Amino acid sequence: MTVFKAFLKVLKANILLVIIYTVILIFFAAFNMKTENYQMSFSATKPDIYIINDDKSELSNSLEKYMKDNSNIVELKDDEEVIDDAIFYRDINYFVRIPKNFESDFLLEKNPKIEIKSTGDYNASLAEMILNKYLSVASSYKNIFEHDDYIYKIEATLKDDIKINLTSSLNKDELSSISFFYNFANYSILAGSVFVICIVITSFKKETIKKRTIISSMNYKKFNRELIISCGLFAAILWLIYVILSILFTGKSMFSIHGLFYILNSLLFTITSLTIAFLIGNTINNKDAISGLVNVIALGSSFLCGAFVPIEFLPKSVITIAHILPSFYYIDTNNYLATLENFNLNSLKPIILNSFILLFFIALFIVTTNIITNKKRKLD
Amino acid sequence: MFWHNFKYSILTLIKNKSLIFWTFAFPIIMATFFNMAFSDIEKNEQLDIIPIAVVGLDSKNDTNFYKEVLEELSDEKDEDRLFDLKSVDIDEAKRMLENDEIDAYIDFSNEIDLNIKNSGINETIIKFTLEQIKENNTIIETVIASKMASGNYENYNEIQSLYESIIDEVTKLRTSNGLIEDVSRANMSYTMIEYYTLIAMACLYGGMLSMFSINKTLANMSNQGKRTTIAPIKKSTLITSSALSSYLISLIGLLLLFLYTVVILKIDYGSNILLIILLSCIGSFAGLAIGISISTLLKTNENTKIGILISITMFMCFLSGMMGITMKYIVDKNIPILNKINPANMITDGFYSLYYYDTYSRYILNITSLIVFSIVLLGISIYSLRRQKYDSI
Repeated sequence: MTVFKAFLKVLKANILLVIIYTVILIFFAAFNMKTENYQMSFSATKPDIYIINDDKSELSNSLEKYMKDNSNIVELKDDEEVIDDAIFYRDINYFVRIPKNFESDFLLEKNPKIEIKSTGDYNASLAEMILNKYLSVASSYKNIFEHDDYIYKIEATLKDDIKINLTSSLNKDELSSISFFYNFANYSILAGSVFVICIVITSFKKETIKKRTIISSMNYKKFNRELIISCGLFAAILWLIYVILSILFTGKSMFSIHGLFYILNSLLFTITSLTIAFLIGNTINNKDAISGLVNVIALGSSFLCGAFVPIEFLPKSVITIAHILPSFYYIDTNNYLATLENFNLNSLKPIILNSFILLFFIALFIVTTNIITNKKRKLD
Repeated sequence: MFWHNFKYSILTLIKNKSLIFWTFAFPIIMATFFNMAFSDIEKNEQLDIIPIAVVGLDSKNDTNFYKEVLEELSDEKDEDRLFDLKSVDIDEAKRMLENDEIDAYIDFSNEIDLNIKNSGINETIIKFTLEQIKENNTIIETVIASKMASGNYENYNEIQSLYESIIDEVTKLRTSNGLIEDVSRANMSYTMIEYYTLIAMACLYGGMLSMFSINKTLANMSNQGKRTTIAPIKKSTLITSSALSSYLISLIGLLLLFLYTVVILKIDYGSNILLIILLSCIGSFAGLAIGISISTLLKTNENTKIGILISITMFMCFLSGMMGITMKYIVDKNIPILNKINPANMITDGFYSLYYYDTYSRYILNITSLIVFSIVLLGISIYSLRRQKYDSI
């Protein structure tokens, strides 16, 4: 118990950082995981737009209504800087200003200009499609219908729609939000466990403490065993907290075979982190270097393997490099789970392969740690 | 004495490996990670070519219209084409959809049936396009009917040419109607904010340097501080030379970061180099002020001071968008006062205003608040440093 008590003492002194890593995880999870209600029918993607109607004529009102029906309206202040900021930070994808006298100018062929601002991304393209659709119908009917009929005819034509069959039954939104959580946990698990365990191991390696342990009556095997068990216990508690958090955030969808696989995968990764921590803790002697090294390793593997930025957004060269890191295989399994529909030996193959690679990493880190500590002991 | 202390405080700073790591190497490593992670993100936001399949398009005559338009939209010679179109049979289409080779298949054998696997942006665009084709068909029929009713078209050729001219007109309107004017600003790359927060972080981490060198002159911090304090030298000379040496080092670190991001990562800071330099010097000065004030105002050991400085800096960077660009916008929009007093945000926002806006009012506001912020902090520190006495240490 002596070792365990000492472990707790060191942990207590450094608990703040572990709390920070966890708070960051909670914050990001809460921020990014607004689970939307899943529907079995098709729901069209709606761009976020802000529209100002300076005309207030029948035509402009009808256009405004059509835009509003097909997009999400974000209410902003009619101020150029506010709108520019909203566009830059993607609060809105598209901004539309219908000028004064639009209807009369339009009908008199004066070519009024509708001012738009666009982010240039795919949601903006969609908003532009919606706007163009209305305008092209309005232009085609301009000289054909009397005013009373005109707007009614435009709206009637725009009501044309087509039949849609949705074939997949998998609730991808929910699963991908679980994947998001566990991918992000890559950073928290890695940073939290590696940091604390390294600090503990290096504390025990301090010259005076080391000498005291060596002359004490405690067998060094027992000492090592207690140390390993304490570290393992800490990692297990950290992992358990993250699993509970994931259940709190995603609710009952964690109680499924998908959820079980997410949990098992994160356990495997926690064990991998534990062995990484042992390796670093036993190689590094300088306590000051630890926080720098841990940050570089945790941030590096999170950025490169797609924990923060989804992997499909990463350049191919980065993904190739990421293959040498254990985080890649952990995250790959999470992403694969989000698309997996039925579980059988064939569909589980990629997961099994990834798990074996993680096991290989675990073995590799343990063996390397042993070689290094052996060499060091002989040097002493 | 000024230069003597200046020289040795530079030497002690440079020889402190962990300080140099956090102020010099860490921002550069972070910039490298940002670059690896974000370099493709905006490219992915543009519309890709959407793979779709059609089934039974040739079997019916009244779907010719769809065929023409879909083929036109999938023309391989066109770089901006919308679709990658394959004509297959129903089983093959089902298999392709199942294996995610296509986003949708359209079945023309009965009515027009759009078959998809998920609700997403690509599916929405396919739906919109099909609806638009259908609407164009309706428009053409309506326009022709009304023209036929009003005019006297008896000759077959006349009707034929009327038909063609209307199709032409409607097709032309589909792509451009000359009614939209794009007034968006030119620089839209929002991942730049990440690099700006990084510069802000590097500026404020400079505070670690000033904290370290000021601590060396404080009697309650180290034996060295005790010896320096009893030396017959004016305190102001010591403090200014220590502060100046750390300012110099942090500017060098910043210069390295700038060179790295501009030359190797090709980051765009806007075109006005003088204003960029001014902003970074003043930002770094704010970092210096934070470091000095923490080291003089708090009476605790050095490690706690460093911990406090790092966590305050990280929190301020977080509010200005380092861990997610939206954060800056959310704070700016909902709790503007928080970011108005946040030096990390003043620096980030200053760079943003140089990059995005072509007016300077916002930039000047940021510069002024940074100067005010630093002077207030320095004023408080000087006040607390004056006539400091210790009965016992």
